[in-house]
Amino acid sequence: MDEVFIVAVIFIALPWIMLHYITKWKTSATITSDDEVLLEELYNLAKRLDDRMDTVERLVAADNPDYRPARLVHDSEADNQQLRELDRLLAEKKGASK
Amino acid sequence: MNSPRTTLYKDPYNKKLMGVCAGIADYTGVNALWVRLGAVFLTFASSGFLIVLYLIAGFLLNKKPAHHYVDHEEQKYWQRVRQSPKRTAREIRAKMKDIDRRLADVETYYVSSNPRLTAEIERLR
Repeated sequence: MDEVFIVAVIFIALPWIMLHYITKWKTSATITSDDEVLLEELYNLAKRLDDRMDTVERLVAADNPDYRPARLVHDSEADNQQLRELDRLLAEKKGASK
Repeated sequence: MNSPRTTLYKDPYNKKLMGVCAGIADYTGVNALWVRLGAVFLTFASSGFLIVLYLIAGFLLNKKPAHHYVDHEEQKYWQRVRQSPKRTAREIRAKMKDIDRRLADVETYYVSSNPRLTAEIERLR
């Protein structure tokens, strides 16, 4: 009985698992060389546009001191205020539920 | 399989033995140390069968071209493409949208409060 089980594992289960993953791999990872060229172009385009946008924002900011480019700013007071409020509310809720 | 960016190479520049593990690390973006540790572990687990596979891969794989990527960022980008092209396409779209939004900000600033135009009008008065 034990030998039958081992033989079944080696000759049925193992090829089954392998073929399953091979078919999965073959169907999922299909990226043609055309796609690749397209992705490369998009990458370079996005990078160039990003650089240009940086330059434009810098130029506008240099001409007009009141212009602030909308950026995610690390550790700004306006956000921290709201975060503290949120922390306080969460702590209150925790205290109330206990 | 004639697309150079999504082909598995062996990496002769960061190699320890034949560069297969370094090549796999470069292909997947996993740290080479983990790939090597996994290879050693699998060698014991498969009782030496992996060494044969390693040698076959070492002799069959092409060497990675010397200047395959321009910089580290591009290398990371292609690793993400190999992991999931769909997600990379979404990331590119997000980046384009971000640029569009920033450009719209600049445009709105110039349309709604054109300081130079205001100054010109003031001078004409």
